[in-house]
Amino acid sequence: MRILVVEDEPKVADLVTRGLKAERYAVDVAASGDVGWTMASTYQYDLVILDLMLPGIGGLDLLKRIRQRDSKVPALVLTARDATASKVENFEAGADDYLTKPFAFAELLVRIKALLRRGPVTQTAVVRVGDLVVDRMTQQVRRAGRRIELTPREYALLEYLATQPGRVFSRTMIVEHVWDQSFEGLTNIVDVYVRHLREKIDAPFPIKLIRTLRGVGYSLADDSAG
Amino acid sequence: MNSRSIRFRLTVWQATLFTAVFVLLGTLLYVQLRHYLDHSLLDTQSRRARQIAATLLGKAGGNDERLAAQIEGLYAPELSDRFIRLTRGDGSVFYLSGSPQDHAFEPADVPLARPPFTRESARRQSLPGGRVLLIAAVPGNLAGGASCLVEVGIDGAPVEIMLNRLLLLLGLGLPIVVAVAAAGGYGLVQSALDPVAGMARKAELITQHNLTERLPVVRSGDELERLSLSLNHMIQRLDEAFQQSKRFVADASHELRTPLTILRGELEELAGDAALAAGQRERIGSLLEEAERLTRIVEQLLTISRLDAGEAQAEAVTFDLAALAIATAEQMAQLAEDRRISVNCTAEGRVMVEGDRARLKQVVVNLLDNAVKYTPVGGEISLRVAAQGGMALLEVTDTGIGIPESALPHVFERFFRVDQARSREPDGAGLGLAIVKAICQAHGGEAEAESAPGRGSRFRVRLPRAA
Repeated sequence: MRILVVEDEPKVADLVTRGLKAERYAVDVAASGDVGWTMASTYQYDLVILDLMLPGIGGLDLLKRIRQRDSKVPALVLTARDATASKVENFEAGADDYLTKPFAFAELLVRIKALLRRGPVTQTAVVRVGDLVVDRMTQQVRRAGRRIELTPREYALLEYLATQPGRVFSRTMIVEHVWDQSFEGLTNIVDVYVRHLREKIDAPFPIKLIRTLRGVGYSLADDSAG
Repeated sequence: MNSRSIRFRLTVWQATLFTAVFVLLGTLLYVQLRHYLDHSLLDTQSRRARQIAATLLGKAGGNDERLAAQIEGLYAPELSDRFIRLTRGDGSVFYLSGSPQDHAFEPADVPLARPPFTRESARRQSLPGGRVLLIAAVPGNLAGGASCLVEVGIDGAPVEIMLNRLLLLLGLGLPIVVAVAAAGGYGLVQSALDPVAGMARKAELITQHNLTERLPVVRSGDELERLSLSLNHMIQRLDEAFQQSKRFVADASHELRTPLTILRGELEELAGDAALAAGQRERIGSLLEEAERLTRIVEQLLTISRLDAGEAQAEAVTFDLAALAIATAEQMAQLAEDRRISVNCTAEGRVMVEGDRARLKQVVVNLLDNAVKYTPVGGEISLRVAAQGGMALLEVTDTGIGIPESALPHVFERFFRVDQARSREPDGAGLGLAIVKAICQAHGGEAEAESAPGRGSRFRVRLPRAA
């Protein structure tokens, strides 16, 4: 999988590149719209990540040019601007997704994976993390064979964490997925619900599955096996 | 009428001034006229007296009857309402005219003149019964050389009557003059100030949200035109300043996003480093939390500046505010439950409003979050949605610590905190209520707060109802 990152801010480009390389993607960086256009027209990329404010050809123009030549490559726009009007403009120019700075890297990865998968995500009906079983069909949760009763919102939280076991989800991501964008700025609600979820999922058992990475977020993982 | 308005004061001033001028002129007229009339009457009397002294006294010889007959013949004092008296140097009267026909006065009542008679004199002689005689006295010599005083007087009543009539006229004229002056002054001021009232009405309607509007310009070429133009220029400068400050907030927030991305990204990567010691991990976590807080502040500032710019409404759909509020309260239930705060929701049927659901939901979220934060353990919060005339009412009442009266007008201002110690949550930046107000205003509504310190607060939001 080869990804083109068009970003004029070297530190942001570096950060994204390192993160993506750690996830075993091949990454090329272009620091201007012109270089980006040259690279995009020379190589075949699986994904283009581009900033909107670029020297030379602007991000929107670059996106339109890429779309004219190759309509299929998924494009993810990164931007510091987020007026509603420019959001619409981005999608009209052919962006597949849109991420506002500052973003958690975990969020970027989730979006990238979704774009690369192309098409609906096939999710397994039953997720297992250690001895925890989350059944998406019946919305039932068992641990060590014992049935655990969760409130609907606790279940939604657990199910979200279980979509990618081991992955850290930022509090902002959790708020936006389990609640909605109206709760932006109310991330402490996540801490409260995670605490309650822990009491039910982890407290009665010796092995703790819900992990806190302070300042980064929460993850659901079974480390004991490794 | 407002006693401090220019209209009132100018009218009063004008009326007072007119009254003063009228009274002054009237007094002057009265005094002068009286003086002139007295003077001219006395003048006539002295001329007569001198005539009698010069022509009749010498000829009379000592014959009183002849003298009396001559005076009667020449002057007919009784017929012409005159008083004539001749007094000898020894004080004895040797001629006194009779009562006038109408008995307006009695000549005998006039006190005797006392010798010696050396100088001419004139006087107003008051008589019993209130009558006044204007008497001129002229000394003369009888045929034998003996001194004698000739007194000629006339009834002052006609003059008094005339002067009294004048006084009456002046007295009756005064209220008319005052009324006319006041009415005229009021009308004049009214017509001059009407454009000012128009400007004031318009100016009161201009807030930070419609600074593009202008006051009506009076094309009169006078001071009022200049005033209206100056005020409009001032509003324009205000508008520019507001625009600049809004742009500044939006630009600054946008500029902060890239460095924040780098900061967060680098720190996240560090935090994931397995080789990190526990203490270092904690410190990086703390830094990340601060970066997250900064991000939140930047996002909230941007939200407010977008709302101010009127570009924050992504949709305009009609929906039930009551259902939205109750669903939102349910989503936040655990926050209140953790502090053993009971949340009571009441809704009187469906209350439809039109707007951006996500934004209006944020209003409910922020108000409930605020109520939970400032309500002590075991308290109560009630959420009420109701239709009230053409408005939808959303009310969040808590039994919290309340807000001091001095802070109440400021709770919806950006970055306002009642006091530092009250801010239990470290993640609040004092922008939640400012966002509530901005969203309400963007939807044509209003947000207000009332509070009884120590007993609780009530936040009320009013939005226009949709049909």
